[in-house]
Amino acid sequence: MVLQEGALPDFVREHDIDHVTLDIIENALKNIRHEMDRVLVTTAVSPVIREQADEFPLIADRKGRMIVGQFGSPVDTVLANSPYRLEDLKEGDVIALNDPYMMEGSTSHLPDILLVRPIFHSDEHIGYALQWGNLMDVGGSTAGSIPIDARSIFEEGVRMPPVKLYDGGKLNEEVLRFFCHNSRTPRETRADVMAIAAGTATGAQRVKDICDRFGKDTYLEACDALLARTRTSIIGLIRQLIPEGQRFEFEDFTDDDGLGNGPIKLKLAMWREGDSLHLDWEGTDAQVPGPVNFLLNKEMFQMFAGVFLISAVDPTILFNDGYADVIHVNIPEGSVLRPKAPAPLSNRLVVMARLFDVLGAVYAKAIGFNVSGSYGTSPNFVYSGVKKDGEPFQTMEILYGGIPAIPGKDGLDGHSWWPEFMAVPAEYMETYYPMLVDEYSVRPDSCGAGQFRGGCGIKKVYRFLADGAITYQDDRAATFPYGVAGGKPGASSKKTLVRAEGATVEMPSKVRDVPVYEGDRLVFETAGAGGVGDPLERDPEAVAKDVRWNLVSPESAEREYGVVVGEGGTVDAAATGTRREEILASRGDLPGFDHGDLPPLEDQRRAVAETRRKFNEWLSGELGAARNGKP
Amino acid sequence: MAYNVAVDVGGTFTDVLVFDEGTGELTEGKVLSTPDDPSRGVVEGMERVCEKVGIGFSDLRLLFHGTTVVTNMILTNTGSRVGLLTTKGHEQILYLARAWTPGPLYGWMALQKPDPPAEPTDTIGIGERMAADGSVISDLDEDEVREAVKGLVDRGVESLAIGFLNSYVNPAHERKARDVARGAYPDLPVSISADIGQEYGEYERTLTTVVNTAVQPRTITYMRGFETSMKEKKFGGRLSIVRSDGGAMSTEAVAERPIQIALSGPSGGVTGSAYLAREIGVPDVLTLDMGGTSTDVALCLGGETPLQREISLGYFRFKVPSADVHSVGAGGGSIAFLSASGALQVGPASAGADPGPAAYGRGGKAPTVTDANVVLHRIPPGVALGGSLALDKEAARRAVQTVAEPLGMSVEEAAEAILEIVNENMHAALRVVSVERGHDPREFGLVAFGGAGPMHACALGRLIRSHPVVVPPTPGVMSAFGFLSSDIQNEFPETYLRTAEETPASELKKTVEGLISQADEWLDGEGVEEDQKRFDLYADCRYYLQNIQIPCRFELDELSGEDSSFLRSRFEEAHDQRYNFELPDSPLEIATVRVIGRGTIRGVTLSEGENGAGGDASGSVMRTEQAYFGGWTDTPILDRNALRPGNEVTGPAVVVQDDTTTVIEPGYRGEVDSFGNILIEEA
Repeated sequence: MVLQEGALPDFVREHDIDHVTLDIIENALKNIRHEMDRVLVTTAVSPVIREQADEFPLIADRKGRMIVGQFGSPVDTVLANSPYRLEDLKEGDVIALNDPYMMEGSTSHLPDILLVRPIFHSDEHIGYALQWGNLMDVGGSTAGSIPIDARSIFEEGVRMPPVKLYDGGKLNEEVLRFFCHNSRTPRETRADVMAIAAGTATGAQRVKDICDRFGKDTYLEACDALLARTRTSIIGLIRQLIPEGQRFEFEDFTDDDGLGNGPIKLKLAMWREGDSLHLDWEGTDAQVPGPVNFLLNKEMFQMFAGVFLISAVDPTILFNDGYADVIHVNIPEGSVLRPKAPAPLSNRLVVMARLFDVLGAVYAKAIGFNVSGSYGTSPNFVYSGVKKDGEPFQTMEILYGGIPAIPGKDGLDGHSWWPEFMAVPAEYMETYYPMLVDEYSVRPDSCGAGQFRGGCGIKKVYRFLADGAITYQDDRAATFPYGVAGGKPGASSKKTLVRAEGATVEMPSKVRDVPVYEGDRLVFETAGAGGVGDPLERDPEAVAKDVRWNLVSPESAEREYGVVVGEGGTVDAAATGTRREEILASRGDLPGFDHGDLPPLEDQRRAVAETRRKFNEWLSGELGAARNGKP
Repeated sequence: MAYNVAVDVGGTFTDVLVFDEGTGELTEGKVLSTPDDPSRGVVEGMERVCEKVGIGFSDLRLLFHGTTVVTNMILTNTGSRVGLLTTKGHEQILYLARAWTPGPLYGWMALQKPDPPAEPTDTIGIGERMAADGSVISDLDEDEVREAVKGLVDRGVESLAIGFLNSYVNPAHERKARDVARGAYPDLPVSISADIGQEYGEYERTLTTVVNTAVQPRTITYMRGFETSMKEKKFGGRLSIVRSDGGAMSTEAVAERPIQIALSGPSGGVTGSAYLAREIGVPDVLTLDMGGTSTDVALCLGGETPLQREISLGYFRFKVPSADVHSVGAGGGSIAFLSASGALQVGPASAGADPGPAAYGRGGKAPTVTDANVVLHRIPPGVALGGSLALDKEAARRAVQTVAEPLGMSVEEAAEAILEIVNENMHAALRVVSVERGHDPREFGLVAFGGAGPMHACALGRLIRSHPVVVPPTPGVMSAFGFLSSDIQNEFPETYLRTAEETPASELKKTVEGLISQADEWLDGEGVEEDQKRFDLYADCRYYLQNIQIPCRFELDELSGEDSSFLRSRFEEAHDQRYNFELPDSPLEIATVRVIGRGTIRGVTLSEGENGAGGDASGSVMRTEQAYFGGWTDTPILDRNALRPGNEVTGPAVVVQDDTTTVIEPGYRGEVDSFGNILIEEA
């Protein structure tokens, strides 16, 4: 089992802790994480945290390794990039930063602020409580701080290097005031930062409680034992699931970078050597001028890779940094996944979403189960302006596309791919912001057909009640969420601006600060998700139910599934049999991965550039008109 | 002489508790529930206990009834077929279910989402629109309503729910649509969302309305049938149904809002504990209700039942007031297993009632918490649970052996490990309601009940450091006891969404007085006398845009200032206690104003017994057995029925009664108080 003699992590050894105590501490640590979540979600004010839970907590050990949590622990890098050494930290300190380049991408764009609180027990340093949350605005060139056309990170907001937000329990009021002053939503930003700090305080206190109860040494021993236990489990899973001696590869594309460059390729190869799993992003496209670069934290990606195995086999396994030496990751320097500063990063979500697709597909090839189609999208949407009473406003909302199918289960329609996220109620948005949600519904036929169909995207229609500007970051407008094993791809995303006087404009997948006026509407249609398996194998009754529930049209039922649905929404069995035979006779082999009907890459590149050029031309006209008063 | 009775219908047993107002005596009884027609079990149980007491139904003054009729209909989706009218463009509101996906990462893979409680084909969007400030954006298209309702009725819909956007601010369109529907179909039950929920959140309000509508017809049938059978038995007193928030109301009120009784059982235990705690002078208590599959915990301050505004049942969350009970999948039937990484875990999977723990001898093979208790003689050999169920100790040992072996432990060690893990899970739950909300559990007592609660009470007192640990005289029927102590109660909330700083107290007062008069009228309808009425006033506040609502209680005469900022200090104290920070620059938003109207009807009063028996409990010792506390130890087994006020029991000891055992660990001692409770403290 030992690969490199002497290279084993220090926590791999016999542990002086009894089994039951270890299990109890494991449970307690899991609960701490949830408690940190609850504190933040209930006290934060921005809708992305309070209604959508866009935040993550983490407990790290003395050496900064994640013991429980859901992102990569960057403590070493944060300290290295700060004027502080470990000896400079004391009880009540909290280090805050939002510059992804100073934490190896642990959070990956400026709106996500990270707070690191060292934990002490009877004056001895025993670990860290970390939490990050998505702030509504950190300045930069556009509301919401995700300018889709930024050329460097300096356009994307105020950058906070590692600073002591709290020094020995005392709030560094000056630095917070400075930071919030650069935000368009200073009050909300301040409240959210305080809420995140409260979350880390809760985490730290609970770790101290564990030490009080079991003894500090037992707790520290438990941290090591938990790392070791997870490491052993992951090695077992890798050996059990991933065949040795084969290389598994997959590539897929993100539409564009917001400046007319694209599609952008992500390519991943995976293979196993003994106990080690190798994941290599060689062949991924170089960083792009626009802000979709995703500074991928290595530890976080190791965790994603491990979580996939854990979720597939035994979700009760605790995930932590214990397997950092087992999963080897190569991310080429200068690629879109490891851009060089000061490359812009704000709109990295679209590449992150694709990264999960590619990782899932590589695993699909390797382990042959839990193969899922591709996810739709989960775009951000921001509407800002000034209310009629003179008060400035700014919304932020995350929308959801279709969830992919997996063998045995259809994808969910218009659901969050991200854990614990939710849609914002229309009544909330309408109470606090000048807008109406005219429609929120499933987008029929946007789901990728399959024996198990992908989820449909959604259609959300906003009506604006005040003059302002809109910004959003979407993807999958120029490419399709792929289907697998005979399943079809989901539909592309689509955004249409409908002016009050009736003019309609199809807009590209990423726009910023498009002027809108009272009475205008935005029709936001998210992408569907890919299906799994041959659509002709789908249970005709399931197709008929989809038709009755207005998720699939009768035409599409017949064309894609060969299912003829009669009046009243029932299956015409005879006609279905005939239709299915016709389709079977006329079609060729089904591809393993169906990326949809796309022109050659060169043509796609030209189309992406052309779309952006035309849109920019139109936008210039709109901005000119706005300068001269309403068009 | 007058008698009061409480009946709690559970999944397995129907509990009956009769209180004699003259002597203060409580008499309990249990019969098997009759799920096909629950009232049959109720009548049988009542007859049995009445016979025991030597009275007839006509001697009963108050009858409190808790029922799972509504719960079961929701969980099994067996309500009536509901048609739903929504605002046009939002027809798929229930289907989309706020897009919620459970954690962790990849949680969507495991999510099994239930179909919406109103079929999408039975949902129709109507042209109308109300703004968030209550102004009309587009008028209601009444012809469209008429046509839609006709289509739904023709298709076989049995009742109708109407949920329009922003109706909680201005219900005019919903009401108009209801009138149109009733005009066309006078017999069609119709409910509107503005009557069900007064808060923003269209999904939750619509869901709650639809489910309320779905369970209505069968609930009404049940209530009528129940009343009839009571009349036939010559019951002439007041019949009250217990609500999820621990209050009680008439069957007429239940017929309007059956969703409000969805969780009546768990609330009873909390109400009963709060009442008991108040009476015995330990007003601040944690409660631990440990049953077969789950444990409910709650925190009662000042002898009051804690309330929340939401209940969860399966995938769904409903907006209705309920006792603030936190539930965890840890009970006597919880199964112990090893995860792939070798960690010992207990629950949430449960052996349930059938086959049940291995010790039940009904074919269960998996090791459960009950089996661990049997192996360690925390349930002594020869004791039959529920008075009749003989326990198979060898089967329990074999089951526990299946985890002992891979752990490299003896059967006893493994059994103790199982208890430690399950205790830890309950400990975590107790911390959720105490520590996490800024309360120090060391300043609280712990009331333990339910079939398994008294076995684990001492251990949990030790872990959470609450004391005294209180094991009531009738821990197996605590819900029924709680029912007896219920007030006639209902809540009247109104979404407010104004900042305290900009709200003149006189305006807030006007709103409050309006709610009080609603509550007053409701209490009149329930036949509550003037001198029994009480009104509790709350402003649920938060910093502007926050997601919490912290209830701030106030009195009417405080509403005299230029603004309502007197609420600020009350809010900030609570906020700081919970979260350790304040936001002085942030306006304080009054999210909801609430009035709880109560009518106190006194179904039970505790009577103190003679406290002259002295400390010596040797008269109650049945025998001495070996029990395992880190090693086999001589342990006296005592008969609970023979214990007298003043008796003291030094641990280790096991006190046996009909349906449970109370474990007193080494280093602890129990004392019987004058009400018959066992109070456990560190020795």
